[in-house]
Amino acid sequence: MTDTAKAKESANLAPLHSDTTPAKWVKNNLFNNIMNSVITVVLGVVVVFLVVQSFGWIAGEEWEIVRVNLRNFMVGQFPSDELWRLWTSAFLLIGTFGIGTAAMAHNAYDDANEKGLVAERPSLLNLLARFWPVLAFVALMVSFSETLPPVVGVIAGVGAIVASRLVGWALPASIRSLAVPMMAIGTIVAMAVLAGTGGLIAMSAGVVALVIAASGLSRRFEGSDPKSMAIRTGGPIIIGAVTLVIVNAIGFDGFGWEDWGGLHLTLFATVVGIASGMPIGILLAIGRRSELPVIKGFCVVFIEFVRGVPLISLLLFSSFILPLLFPPSVETPETLTRAMIVIALFSAAYIAEIIRGGLQAVPKGQTEAAQASGMSAAKIQRLIVMPQALRAVIPAMVGQFISLFKDTSLIATIGVAEFFQFAAIANSQPNFLGKSLQLVTYSIIAVGYWSFAYTMSKESRRLEAQLGVGVR
Amino acid sequence: MSNTPTGTVNADATQILGSGRAIIEMKNVDKLFGSFQALTNINMNVGEKEVVVVIGPSGSGKSTMIRCINRLEKHDRGEIIVDGITLSNDVRNIQEIRRETGMVFQSFNLFPHLTVLDNITLAPRQVRNIPKGEAEKTAMELLERVKIPEQARKFPGQLSGGQQQRVAIARSLAMNPKVILFDEPTSALDPEMIKEVLDTMKSLANEGMTMICVTHEMGFAREVADRVVFMADGQIVEVGTPEHFFDNPQEERTKLFLSQIL
Repeated sequence: MTDTAKAKESANLAPLHSDTTPAKWVKNNLFNNIMNSVITVVLGVVVVFLVVQSFGWIAGEEWEIVRVNLRNFMVGQFPSDELWRLWTSAFLLIGTFGIGTAAMAHNAYDDANEKGLVAERPSLLNLLARFWPVLAFVALMVSFSETLPPVVGVIAGVGAIVASRLVGWALPASIRSLAVPMMAIGTIVAMAVLAGTGGLIAMSAGVVALVIAASGLSRRFEGSDPKSMAIRTGGPIIIGAVTLVIVNAIGFDGFGWEDWGGLHLTLFATVVGIASGMPIGILLAIGRRSELPVIKGFCVVFIEFVRGVPLISLLLFSSFILPLLFPPSVETPETLTRAMIVIALFSAAYIAEIIRGGLQAVPKGQTEAAQASGMSAAKIQRLIVMPQALRAVIPAMVGQFISLFKDTSLIATIGVAEFFQFAAIANSQPNFLGKSLQLVTYSIIAVGYWSFAYTMSKESRRLEAQLGVGVR
Repeated sequence: MSNTPTGTVNADATQILGSGRAIIEMKNVDKLFGSFQALTNINMNVGEKEVVVVIGPSGSGKSTMIRCINRLEKHDRGEIIVDGITLSNDVRNIQEIRRETGMVFQSFNLFPHLTVLDNITLAPRQVRNIPKGEAEKTAMELLERVKIPEQARKFPGQLSGGQQQRVAIARSLAMNPKVILFDEPTSALDPEMIKEVLDTMKSLANEGMTMICVTHEMGFAREVADRVVFMADGQIVEVGTPEHFFDNPQEERTKLFLSQIL
């Protein structure tokens, strides 16, 4: 056996990576011939130059514009003495959703264990892995703060997330089963604190939609016998209505949302668009497949009209034309209310078509098998067809959510300063006018959008894996 | 055999064997798909505890006929009576009939997003409002009966074809139906899995379940059927006991069919 043959043999036998030192890796991959060596050197110089430049840029004085406008970016022109409303509502949402989601995770964990499936207990580290882009963005923004309260608030918020997740997991099963109503109530109270009773109608509609979406779309049919369905859906609505009445009676009047803005408004508009667009979209999708010509016709016309025109034109219509159409005796809803309705209807039309695609993908035999057992048409839709249709369209649906999230920047066109618009506003402030700081402001905006959009995308893949899309 | 029809093309299958009452009555049933006449003047009764096997070439209307019984297809003329209930356009009426008739499909049609146990308990819980615990207890007994209790917590996609079809049989039994309609239950199965499904069906027949079975399994027809119904071109051509049917067929069409498959 020659030396080379021996060397070859030992190379074959050697476990992978066993003798790969960094120096060897660099030699084999970056400097294995003259051409690669030249490319490596040139690119290396460019990278070093860029890194040094960006460090200089990040450390530079240009960032003053973010420091000054930090509150604008986050919450717009929200009045200072009303900021407590924002913090309180944020903590209410963190608390109830932390407890609620942890409780639901525990329920799902028990459920999977009972079914003999492999279940993973979610950890806080797991949570960090899921939401790190958002956490990193919030940390970045807070690092610009020149005062203490936001820093304390964010740290307390992270603490509240951890605490509420631990509490939610530790709750006894009987309380855990009330997770959905609890989150619904938390949302109502948070909204009531935030906006007072100003946006009462919009608020109630949003909450009802949220609750119906949460309980009706639940993939678990364990509690779907008429009685527990009634409790799960009716309970939150009744409690919510009572809460609203009490809040109203106390005269917790707050203020409308003409002063809302910044990232806060962007996120709110996205949630409204998704939470009300989903149920409306589902109804439209079912309606479009209906055999009744009137219902089908209405759905087709609505969907095709909304999809056929740009969102910006609908927003402008709602802002400038719609008020003229209201009779003088009727009070016109506020600009932002009209914009929210437009966003909800707009996303509903797109969601409807995505869901229709999913419905078509469910084999006819599924419906027939359910029909043959005597199930009602409504139950077949809810328990057999819709769950399969929805899980088939998760990627497309999340794509639509991300799209909607970014499209909310268009409400700037009707004179509402949301997250994106504040980049332009900051640059036109007297202190910064003509200093060409667009790169700074739009970088921050880009990182902000990316952190949320990427998190949504990650969550969608996680959901797919969890539901076993493509496997079952 | 006084009930053996001869001569006419449109045979009458209304004479049930044994003394039981009729669970299913089909009178002069016609079915059209557009201008195509899928069923012509079908007359058939199925008695309590009777096993009727329907055979015939593909496209002869076998599946269409049994799908008319639980209104998966709507018949155009004639009358269908299931367990004393006349099938009409009334939704409640249709659902009442569907509750009493189980169905097993060629392609199983198990619900892929639900576990085996949930597949079986879904209809009892949703349609008959049976409590979860009770429904699951019954489901486990049924899974014992089709000999796959260990698969209860799995999803349909994790099971073999034969196991899936046995779950489908258990699912239809869970509603405690008066009659089960089998629509080519073994046609989508690998050869080595056909036997396990046929064995399950045989034991069902022996336990006295009323069954209508569309199949190409002639061995099953000969062994288990009380009556064999032969269909061609949307009509019932010949009816008889297996002995009569396989050993001494009367109609030319029947003889031709049997010569092609046996």
